[in-house]
Amino acid sequence: MGDGSLELLKGTLDVLLLKTLSGGPLHGYAISRLIRTATDEAFQVDEGALYPALRRLEKRGLVEAEWGVTDTGREARFYRLTDEGQAELASGLRTWHRYVEAMGRVLGVPAGG
Amino acid sequence: MSPGVEGEGGDGRSGRRDDGGGDVDREIAGHIELRAAELEAEGWEPDRAREEAERLFGDKEEIARACRAIARSQQRAVRRGMMADAFWQDLRYGVRTLLRSPGFALVAILTLALGIGANTAIFSVVRGVLLRPLPFEQPDRLVTVAELSNKGRPMSVAWPNFTDWRAESSSFSGLTVADPFPTTVLGAERPVKAEAVAVGQDFWKVFPVRPVEGRLTVPADHAEGAAPVAVVSRSFWRNQLGGKALGDYDLEVDGSHVRVVGVVPDGFDYPVGAQIWTPAEPQQHSDSRSAHNWKVVGRLAPGVTLDRARQEVDALTKRIVSGLSGEDPDFIATGAVVTPLLESMVGDTRRPLYLLLAAAFFVLLVACTNLASTLLARGASRERELAVRTAIGAGRSRIVRQLLTESLLLAGVGALGGVAVGIGVVHAVVAAGPAFLPRLSSVAVDGQVLVFTATVAVVTALLFGILPARRMTRGAEADALRTGSRGNALDGRGGVWRFLVGVEVALALVLLAGSGLLVRSFRTLLSENPGFDAHDVDVMRMSLSKIKYPTAADHGRFYAQLIEQLKALPGVKAAGVMSVVPTQGAPNGRLELDGSQEKHAVGEYVAASAGALEALNIQLLEGRLFDDRDGPDDEHVAVVSKSFADQYWPGENPVGKSVSGGGMDSFWQERRFARVVGVVGDVRNDGLDASTYPTVYFPYTQRPSRLQYSAYVMVESANGDPAALVGALRATLRSADPDVPPEIETLSSVLLDSVGQRRFVMFVLGGFSLTALLLAGVGIFGVVSYTVARRTREMGIRVALGAAPSSVRGAVMRHAMGMVALGLVVGLAAALGLGRLMHGLLYGVSATDPLSIASAALVLAAVALLASWIPARAGTRVDPMITMRAE
Repeated sequence: MGDGSLELLKGTLDVLLLKTLSGGPLHGYAISRLIRTATDEAFQVDEGALYPALRRLEKRGLVEAEWGVTDTGREARFYRLTDEGQAELASGLRTWHRYVEAMGRVLGVPAGG
Repeated sequence: MSPGVEGEGGDGRSGRRDDGGGDVDREIAGHIELRAAELEAEGWEPDRAREEAERLFGDKEEIARACRAIARSQQRAVRRGMMADAFWQDLRYGVRTLLRSPGFALVAILTLALGIGANTAIFSVVRGVLLRPLPFEQPDRLVTVAELSNKGRPMSVAWPNFTDWRAESSSFSGLTVADPFPTTVLGAERPVKAEAVAVGQDFWKVFPVRPVEGRLTVPADHAEGAAPVAVVSRSFWRNQLGGKALGDYDLEVDGSHVRVVGVVPDGFDYPVGAQIWTPAEPQQHSDSRSAHNWKVVGRLAPGVTLDRARQEVDALTKRIVSGLSGEDPDFIATGAVVTPLLESMVGDTRRPLYLLLAAAFFVLLVACTNLASTLLARGASRERELAVRTAIGAGRSRIVRQLLTESLLLAGVGALGGVAVGIGVVHAVVAAGPAFLPRLSSVAVDGQVLVFTATVAVVTALLFGILPARRMTRGAEADALRTGSRGNALDGRGGVWRFLVGVEVALALVLLAGSGLLVRSFRTLLSENPGFDAHDVDVMRMSLSKIKYPTAADHGRFYAQLIEQLKALPGVKAAGVMSVVPTQGAPNGRLELDGSQEKHAVGEYVAASAGALEALNIQLLEGRLFDDRDGPDDEHVAVVSKSFADQYWPGENPVGKSVSGGGMDSFWQERRFARVVGVVGDVRNDGLDASTYPTVYFPYTQRPSRLQYSAYVMVESANGDPAALVGALRATLRSADPDVPPEIETLSSVLLDSVGQRRFVMFVLGGFSLTALLLAGVGIFGVVSYTVARRTREMGIRVALGAAPSSVRGAVMRHAMGMVALGLVVGLAAALGLGRLMHGLLYGVSATDPLSIASAALVLAAVALLASWIPARAGTRVDPMITMRAE
């Protein structure tokens, strides 16, 4: 999160969130932590920014939310991928790969980076 | 997968609701706590950890606001979707419920179709006749102008007054006469009857219209001495004149050769039914200001109010008459009045039409109360169903909505039926074309009527649906499921039912009493002696060509001959000619008495032959009728009516006195005194419901000019079947002059037409009240049947214990009639009060006529008794053992 952190590309946060949820339901904090550790804190983004994004996904029917209890006994709102969410994630991934491949070809970096 | 996902759902069924407000805050707070805990675990000071967690989160307020906005918009969408889903679900369920009891559904829909149909039909008529703007340019600027008599009544306008108004008033952008005169047009393939109108030169300024052929009349056509021209309607040109080039026509209209200069499009008809418009100015006009012959219509100048126009014309008229001498003060104007054109065309029909609309609404209300009580009864048998639905989680409001959806469904289907009924009735009314209803052509079931019908349907559904829905859901959760018990007889519904049956009975009573009053009025009217006997008499309306018969004497000779031929026909008892038809009005004016121009009388002026008076059985009281001694060159004679004799020669023998037609004589021919040779009974010349008026009869032989304007040949049948004579009469007329179109009716049908409005209102209101009576009967029957069904067990026990079935029956009946009696009392009070609304529609009967109102109450009571006796009897005839085991 210090110098050298990346700006998150516009529109990629949704895919990131969907991908995070593809392993099973998570509450907001767990999502944030997972993204943080999985990316080695590469992205510079306010942790709170994922909540409006989650709500938008919920409104679009891509995720569902339910209140539940965490393993430490706290109440939290759990998000779960819907079928529509799965489909959206798949198409988002395809788009992303095409994008990276194209950029990679131009920039001369191995694809899939 | 995180544990604990099971448990509370977010759909609001139970537990915590996702309200989008506190939820967001809670979620964010939870995040920050977890983050702080993690930081603490990494070794941060608790306070610093919390600060750092907040910093890492970002702008908490902003994020929460964004989340809440998204959540709220999502919830709105969800709620809309759920309501739509619920509605369709309710609707499907409602259809299934109704299909399970098709009998109930059918009766309910028929009832509603009748009630809504009645409202649709009457509203169509009200809208077409009273509300729809006239089909002319800026119709609200059109007015009629009339003189005021010394009694303050509007009357037709004298020609010189009209021309003075036109010259001096500044209130109008156009002012014109428009005087319809039915006439016979010759010069087409065959003689045709037509509605012609004499119009002033401003007429086309008042009614701008674009001709489809040729031109309208221009000021030159209206100048004195101009050659007669005419504008005709397109349908008349096409259908009656054969649609030839306009230059090919040489028509004879009202005694002149007329050139057709233009054709106006169909749909333009002012006055209503007009087919030919001819300039009025070139004709000869009486310069007397007491000869009221003209209808005047104008268009208000821009910015001029009705009131200003009235004040101006009124002042103008007062100024004109103040400078007059030599005119009869009884017959000149005392002022003038300006009325909106629509009002003067339809004003008379307003009260009866609104009365019928109110009556239709009453019928609908009866239908509503009827349905409400039926739904209530059904509701009782659906208690278990509703209780089950409540138990599995339906809220009360949801069940109320379900029940209201069923009501709306009924009302919707009923409204469709109602529209069908309405269209049928409107077609029938328009086809029947009652003469008293102006503007019938604009009566139709159109978009606005449909909007009205839809509104009525929704209001209806709420009216009959809300009460049962609220009742049925009250306490349904609590009791019914537990026992499924039938409990005691009425479980508190008795009160509502008493109310509903009472309302129904009261409404029906008001309608019945109203139509009772009308029926009595009508009977009174028909049973009164009009002074003549219309039975067995045919009337032939005549109009002779003034070119073929140029002089008055020619007319006289034609009628003399025709009458002789008619009298010779087999089956003819008497025949004669008359200048008026009794009840259709007669010209009245100043007459002179006793050989002196200074001695005045006021009376109606009729030219007649003795045969006409005999055919009508007008009673000869003294002296003689006319005969062969009264030829054109003999001494002039007259017969007066009894009231004329009593008024002007009280206590004297009128025979031998003398009378002249005064101004009316000089209008039609020279003024001349006639010796009174007889006195006849009074006749209601101005309508069956009008009083008699002093009348003087002159022999047509001595005043034949009167017949040039209008003549009616009266023929009395010897064998009591005037309709059978019509063929022979037509043939005789054709042989006398094939150019006279035959217009023959029985006098009885003419009389019925003259009371057409009364008859129409009476029949429609009568139909409505019978419907209401039937519905009330059905309603009472239903409620009592249901009560009996619910009480079979109790009644069975009572009979088993030795009570006489009749006494049990009596108890049921007493209960039922208690409800009815309440309604009767309220209805009687309402009927006494509402009778006043019928003022003007009644004749010879007081608005609180005890006989009409009491018999209405009796009829209603009898129907109610029958309607409750049938189910009460059926209930007590069942074997008590069966009814007891039925539980």
